[in-house]
Amino acid sequence: MAALQTSAPPAAEKPAKRTSLRRRRSIGQRLRHDWPLLLMTLPALAQLAVFFYWPSSWNIIAFMDYKTYRPFWENQFVGVDWFLRLFDNPYFLPALLNTLKYSFANLLFLFPLSIVLALLMHSVVSTKLRSVFQSIVYLPYFFSWVLVVTVFVQVLGSDGLVSNWLLGFGGERLDIMSDPSTFTFLAWLQWAWKDAGWGMIIFLAALASINPSLYEAAAVDGANRWRRMWHITLPGIRPVIVLLLILHIGGILNVGFEQYQLQRDAIGYQTTEVLDTFVYYRSVIGTEGPSFGTAAGLFKGVIGLVLVLVANNVAHRLGEQGIYQKS
Amino acid sequence: MATPSDRSPIRRRSLFKVAGLGAAGAAGLPILAACGDIESGDGAAQATEGFDFLPTYKEYELPVQPDLVGEPPNHPSGFTTYPEPAPAITTAAEGKGEYEITVAMWGSPPAGDDPYFATLQEAWGGTKINLRQADGNTFADTSVQWLAANEFGDGINIFAWMLYAHPNFQETVVNTFYDLTDIIKGDISERWPLLAGEPTNSWGQSVWSTDPEDPETARVFGIPSNFSGGPGNGVFVRTDLLEDAGLAMPTTVEEVLEVARAWSDDANGKWAFLNLDYVSPEWFGLASGDGWAYIDGKLVHNCERPEYTEWLEFRRTCWDEKLVHPDTPTGTLDGHVLHVDGTILMSQDGMSWWSDYSNQVKTGTAEGAIEPIGAIGFNGRKPIRFVNFSVDGWTFLSKDLTEDQVKEILDVANFCSAPYGTTEYELLNYGVEGTHFEYGDDGIPVFTEAGTGTVQAPVNLKTFSGQVEVFLTGDPDFVQRKFEYNASVKDFAEVNIWEGMRVEGPADYKSAAQTLLDQQADIAFGRAELSTIPDMVATFLENGGEAAREHYTAAYDKLHGDK
Repeated sequence: MAALQTSAPPAAEKPAKRTSLRRRRSIGQRLRHDWPLLLMTLPALAQLAVFFYWPSSWNIIAFMDYKTYRPFWENQFVGVDWFLRLFDNPYFLPALLNTLKYSFANLLFLFPLSIVLALLMHSVVSTKLRSVFQSIVYLPYFFSWVLVVTVFVQVLGSDGLVSNWLLGFGGERLDIMSDPSTFTFLAWLQWAWKDAGWGMIIFLAALASINPSLYEAAAVDGANRWRRMWHITLPGIRPVIVLLLILHIGGILNVGFEQYQLQRDAIGYQTTEVLDTFVYYRSVIGTEGPSFGTAAGLFKGVIGLVLVLVANNVAHRLGEQGIYQKS
Repeated sequence: MATPSDRSPIRRRSLFKVAGLGAAGAAGLPILAACGDIESGDGAAQATEGFDFLPTYKEYELPVQPDLVGEPPNHPSGFTTYPEPAPAITTAAEGKGEYEITVAMWGSPPAGDDPYFATLQEAWGGTKINLRQADGNTFADTSVQWLAANEFGDGINIFAWMLYAHPNFQETVVNTFYDLTDIIKGDISERWPLLAGEPTNSWGQSVWSTDPEDPETARVFGIPSNFSGGPGNGVFVRTDLLEDAGLAMPTTVEEVLEVARAWSDDANGKWAFLNLDYVSPEWFGLASGDGWAYIDGKLVHNCERPEYTEWLEFRRTCWDEKLVHPDTPTGTLDGHVLHVDGTILMSQDGMSWWSDYSNQVKTGTAEGAIEPIGAIGFNGRKPIRFVNFSVDGWTFLSKDLTEDQVKEILDVANFCSAPYGTTEYELLNYGVEGTHFEYGDDGIPVFTEAGTGTVQAPVNLKTFSGQVEVFLTGDPDFVQRKFEYNASVKDFAEVNIWEGMRVEGPADYKSAAQTLLDQQADIAFGRAELSTIPDMVATFLENGGEAAREHYTAAYDKLHGDK
């Protein structure tokens, strides 16, 4: 028995030896071995360094009384004065609340619309019809907000197509393009026209990865269309839904800029002032300067990071993959 | 207004500052001061006259005298004939440099390889000026960022009215642009006779100080554009539509309202107005510019005056009674198109719209005629008419240029300052005969299609430098009409209480003024009630208006002597 115990099975020893050898490889050996792969990552690293990490390092000016025309080292550190100034500003809170309002509206009403559109598209059998429909829905994503707002004015404006059509039937002009009370609905219409197609494409890609034999098996077992969607389709795209949801929550303070800035005069600043327009009017073309805008940007970034981490943690607790695989 | 640092007690900041210092330390950055208060723009008051370092004025003898003699600046003289042009510069300068100048452009920019530019280059001595033409509608706002990033080429042409967009132009000027003082002071008539012939007042308005409180730091930073004088904007009425409707040109604000009510027909897509924001304040006697008037021994802002409420009541009435185009608030409408097609009766615009419209009628792209409303008042009060108080703008040169390069560009500026009746003026303003213009039967240049696209553009090298004297020129009938109009309103020209000084308000005041503008729009377009005006005014005064009064009062006292 003792002899048997001392002679360990060769199969168990060999892998352990190999693992040990791998661990002892020096950095130089690794570089010699992996240099083609590392070389290929260099452009991406350079791009990240130049366009992300270098600009990000300038967030330091959020803690300085930074003036463009002063040598950098002459700008005094002022701690978190700019953040206090930001929170003290009477127009900051309304802008934050508006941002949250539009972001949640987008999340509640646009996010599901993209899923519904994708499901509808997925159910279209004719490839030609699907391609035409997909193009029509997807195309507005490439339009600028200037074009989107202009088209809406031409169609839904008080002197637009619909208003003049209504007048012809003895009706009243629409004032949806200048009515603050209906702006959330208007914004949703604009998102739906411009962005729903983009969301749909991502979900369509997820739908394409579902094994068709699952549907066939379910159909053979007698599952109707709704049960197949409920038990195969939605579970199949659930990881993508959760991933996009987490990313969306992380960007909850980023509702965009142009849509609100372009309609500011029409709707009024109280309704259309979001964080990005607030920064634009107070910092970029306003009198507060770059440190103030940077502080606002950093505030958004920190809140976004915290929300992503929290949402990802919740996703993991619910058994989902989240934005990365939990080891 | 006190800065937040002043308002914020130290105890509130001290804890958080640790975080800031920690971040700085982690970044390995130098900490020169333990912590400093945030500096807000305190505003500036810059004298624009009384300097001894400006170019010595030497009258440039005009090659021909105007036949309509006015009373400049608000009533400029004019020409109803086209004289045989004579050269203004006898010996052309020699230049080999190539420079890029950023200018505003409304419409489609002409191609840089158009013969217009090549001919000009040859005429002024070989220096190549490439225009970087940017959208005029957004130029004011975007120029702030170009200047901050030092990305405007070798120079930039900025209109005076665009300065409102710059949060601290005083600081920008002295840190970004070339100090011309040592080059242009004294007698410059030998090399640049036309620049020497520009009004001293124009050069004075091109002065900024590195320290506005210290007169010794005042320097010349810009090449002044024209000092046009007279009204810069107006409300233009389609007189043909007025006549068709049996209505007369309004002579009071009350008549404007009557005409608007009689003409507007919302159901059929006809409205009297498109917008009324920047010209109509004069109808109620409000002040132009920053909106300060000296009344009963103190400076009063427009929003504090009863006329302000009357003005907003008027605008709100026009909106409620559907006399204003309902899509005006969207800001997406092309006012020129709506005016030409008769959708709107009255359009507020720059005075150049008058001549543009007349030219369109001549070329068959528009019908009828437009005329600006004269000086009108409300409720029997004496009218006022807003007029230009300053030069139209400046060309600023980059501080990175060398002295020789600046002198070479000044050679070009000298060429561009040639007045009406010179070959330089003709080339600059009409282009090349046969390509860009032909002489009409009356001898006056008429643009060809190529000329309309390239030379007639509202802005290009024509604004590079001011002419020694500005005249009314062009179509004789139009010149006559404009001359008479200026004569009719000159006695109502608003008095400039800041003559001899350029005052820039503090940063907080500018911020509060922007909010006030937003709130004005809310009332004018029915989003807020007139009853909110007192709250608006109180907010404005609390957030910077009251502090600004002190700033402006100090400047006023300095200018006029303590009262």
